Amino acid sequence: MADDVVVCRGVTRTYQDDAVPVLALQGVDFTVTKGEFVSLAGPSGSGKSTLLNVIGGLDRPDAGGIHVDGVHLNELSESELSDLRLSKMGFVFQAYNLIPVLSASENVEFILQLQGLPAAERAERAQAALDALGVGELAHRRPGELSGGQQQRVAVARAIVTEPVLLLADEPSANLDSNTTEELLALLRSLNETRGVTILAATHDPMVMSFAKRRVQLRDGMIAEDSARVAVA
Amino acid sequence: MPLKLLTQLSCRNLFRHKRRNLMLLSAIVVAVAGVVVLNSLLRGFQYDMQEAAVSNLTGHAKVLAPGYLDDPSIEKSFQLAKDWRPDVADDQLEGWAARIRIPAVIMSERETRGVQFVGVDPQRESISFLGSVAHRGEALQSAADRRVVIGESLAEQLDTDVGRRLVLITQGADGLNREAGFRIAGVYDADGENLEKIFVFTGIERLQALVDAEVVTEVSVKLVGNGAGESSIKDSLAAFFDDLDVLDWQELEPQAAAMFLFADAAMFIWFLIMMGALIFGLVNTLITAVMERIKELGMLRAVGMRPGAVVMQVVMESTLIMAVGVVLGILVGWLFILWLGEGIDLSRWAEGVEMAGMRSLLVPRLFMNDLVLVAGLSLFFGFVASLYPAWRAVKIKPLDALRR
Repeated sequence: MADDVVVCRGVTRTYQDDAVPVLALQGVDFTVTKGEFVSLAGPSGSGKSTLLNVIGGLDRPDAGGIHVDGVHLNELSESELSDLRLSKMGFVFQAYNLIPVLSASENVEFILQLQGLPAAERAERAQAALDALGVGELAHRRPGELSGGQQQRVAVARAIVTEPVLLLADEPSANLDSNTTEELLALLRSLNETRGVTILAATHDPMVMSFAKRRVQLRDGMIAEDSARVAVA
Repeated sequence: MPLKLLTQLSCRNLFRHKRRNLMLLSAIVVAVAGVVVLNSLLRGFQYDMQEAAVSNLTGHAKVLAPGYLDDPSIEKSFQLAKDWRPDVADDQLEGWAARIRIPAVIMSERETRGVQFVGVDPQRESISFLGSVAHRGEALQSAADRRVVIGESLAEQLDTDVGRRLVLITQGADGLNREAGFRIAGVYDADGENLEKIFVFTGIERLQALVDAEVVTEVSVKLVGNGAGESSIKDSLAAFFDDLDVLDWQELEPQAAAMFLFADAAMFIWFLIMMGALIFGLVNTLITAVMERIKELGMLRAVGMRPGAVVMQVVMESTLIMAVGVVLGILVGWLFILWLGEGIDLSRWAEGVEMAGMRSLLVPRLFMNDLVLVAGLSLFFGFVASLYPAWRAVKIKPLDALRR
């Protein structure tokens, strides 16, 4: 369907753990439509991060196909995957992963530099993204001078500044206290509702799940429960 | 390729570990400065040796009768028109001189020696060592001067001095021996003892009269500077003197020419040794820097930085630190050469220095071409040193890096 941002069909991924094969994903069929806020939940080892990584093109499935915004990921080279991530996806990592030698605004701006946008437009869009996340006045501070919550906001600003089709978040609340987590989730929901950003978050935090409109539960590499299916049913 | 971003990241990363990068920078500066100073000394040695060879009555090119080098006698002479001059532009020609140079026996009241008896026009000898050496007594005044000048060492051997008389015996143009008495006008003090022992000078017209022939045995031509255009003057002389031999200084002084080439090779070998040692330090530092930033590089790849840009970032860091090191190294080397001033006095090792065909003062020479070569090759080595760390950086899988 034209509105499908993510389509996974029969996705399988096996890891070798000390020569022992571990089936991380077992024929997962999964679709995310435009404007959804989906949480991927499940215990450790259930496959939620693996699913997020294969959708983000950071990992390749052993079998099955993945389409993101109509592009078949299996057919892309490493460089083409890089270009796709740059143009269509935003990432929010558990450990923020800001570049310590760049200021907050430069951390947001560098994604736009990779896209080749002119300096004036970059600066304007970076500042607007930081303002939207409430850290505009901290634009010139380096990550070491920011709190965990502030760093995660800058990381979200970096993820949304390119206006991606899909925002992927891997345990976004893992290093945050509950107040900051709530603020962050309110922000993500606001982005989802006001800007229509499609969000897919892997988490085992019940608070994140409660903010998501759709909850997908994974167990042993398979989708055990999907609130969308329940709703249809 | 986002060059501005990569430059910005590379510059700031260099300041991330100030002490470590300062140590590396110091090593580059010392290595480059060492190469610059040693190169300048080797160039000084090289060109001093060339100058000594060229000034040794050789010139950059010389005209000789065929067979003269094997049998340097008056029979191997030729006539030279009074109005001849080499076909070289004035701004390229330092000077030229025609001479008679024949073997002779010299006798004082006490000793006898074999020498090279050389008839010269002293006005033209600014191109040879005779024009610059110090004389005790007087130098020769003209081509018609009937006196002789001899070297200090020969004067000692003959146990004679300025104002005394000597007898010289040599072969005339008719094949018969000629003998004549000469008063010593002056005693010269050359850089090499060998020169002082071998060469005895008189006016060319006096020697022509002695051998009874208005001939010369050689014409030397010296060009301005280091003799650029040597081959064209050689060709021009060969075209004019088509029945004579025309040789350049490398052919006349093969040992000095070989040493000249050896100095070039020595400079390159020294450079390779210094840079080779430096590369290991550079590779080690860059790998450490890459490994420390493995998560950051993984994130950059994850958000869309292409593998080529990651390579470029590592290469740029290496090139940047190398470029700064090269500039500072050249500056330090240049200051050291300035500090050396007029040169290094090697007179304590005079004998060995003379054997190498050098003078007792080693003057460093700094050439722009050498600096450009050192800078260019250093940057190239910096680039080469960055390739392995860059390869390691690009092999990092974003997912593996982010999991760390």
